[in-house]
Amino acid sequence: MKSKLFNISLKTSYINQQHVRAALGLGALVLFVLGAGAPAVMGH
Amino acid sequence: MVLLPAVLLGLIAGAIRASIGKRAFIIPDLAEVWLVIVAFIPQWVIFFLPLGQGWASDEIAAAALVISQGLLLLFAWLNRTLIAFWVLGLGLTLNLLVIGANGGLMPISPETLQRAEIDFPAEELQLGERVGGLKNVLLLAEQTRFEWLADRFVLPNELPFNFAYSAGDVFIAVGAFWLLWACGGPKAEKLGLAART
Repeated sequence: MKSKLFNISLKTSYINQQHVRAALGLGALVLFVLGAGAPAVMGH
Repeated sequence: MVLLPAVLLGLIAGAIRASIGKRAFIIPDLAEVWLVIVAFIPQWVIFFLPLGQGWASDEIAAAALVISQGLLLLFAWLNRTLIAFWVLGLGLTLNLLVIGANGGLMPISPETLQRAEIDFPAEELQLGERVGGLKNVLLLAEQTRFEWLADRFVLPNELPFNFAYSAGDVFIAVGAFWLLWACGGPKAEKLGLAART
């Protein structure tokens, strides 16, 4: 029982870690695009 | 902000690609993410915060943009194991080249402003002046170094909105789309590991 709980906890923390990394990666890409690009925003 | 649709489209296309191939959509583990955050802060304060757009002098804005983009180029180099970052880095290099060669801001000509049908009166702007408190500086095309890399392209006027963009911006949009498209591909898992090796 204890080891089962431990495994679930490990799995959950792995999933959370993956989500955090994915969010960081996506966030970094968004910031990169905003910072590297230099379009002139205008409109009609 | 106008380049963000490329990120959104890439996300959607990559997710659909992963779903069709019954694979996971895996965003790669990027190296030195802190660097992109540090690099973006000066631009955020000067160009993106509504309050910040007026207070910074053109010289401060130019220095902040060049330093920030230099750090972003380093970030692209550190993530060069991902092919999409070569495209992103190329776009940034082209933008940085024309920005650096013209005093630190992205040149735009009065003709381009006119073609894009801007919201504010172009005749009120002086040559050499920053446009709308943003990253652009108004320069005559013939006085612009590397003019072919400046903000000189505009969307067709039939569209309900318009903006001017550079060749570098196109590469950046393509690179962002490509990176996210690859996240839904068969090599996405390898790609995730590759960023760290």
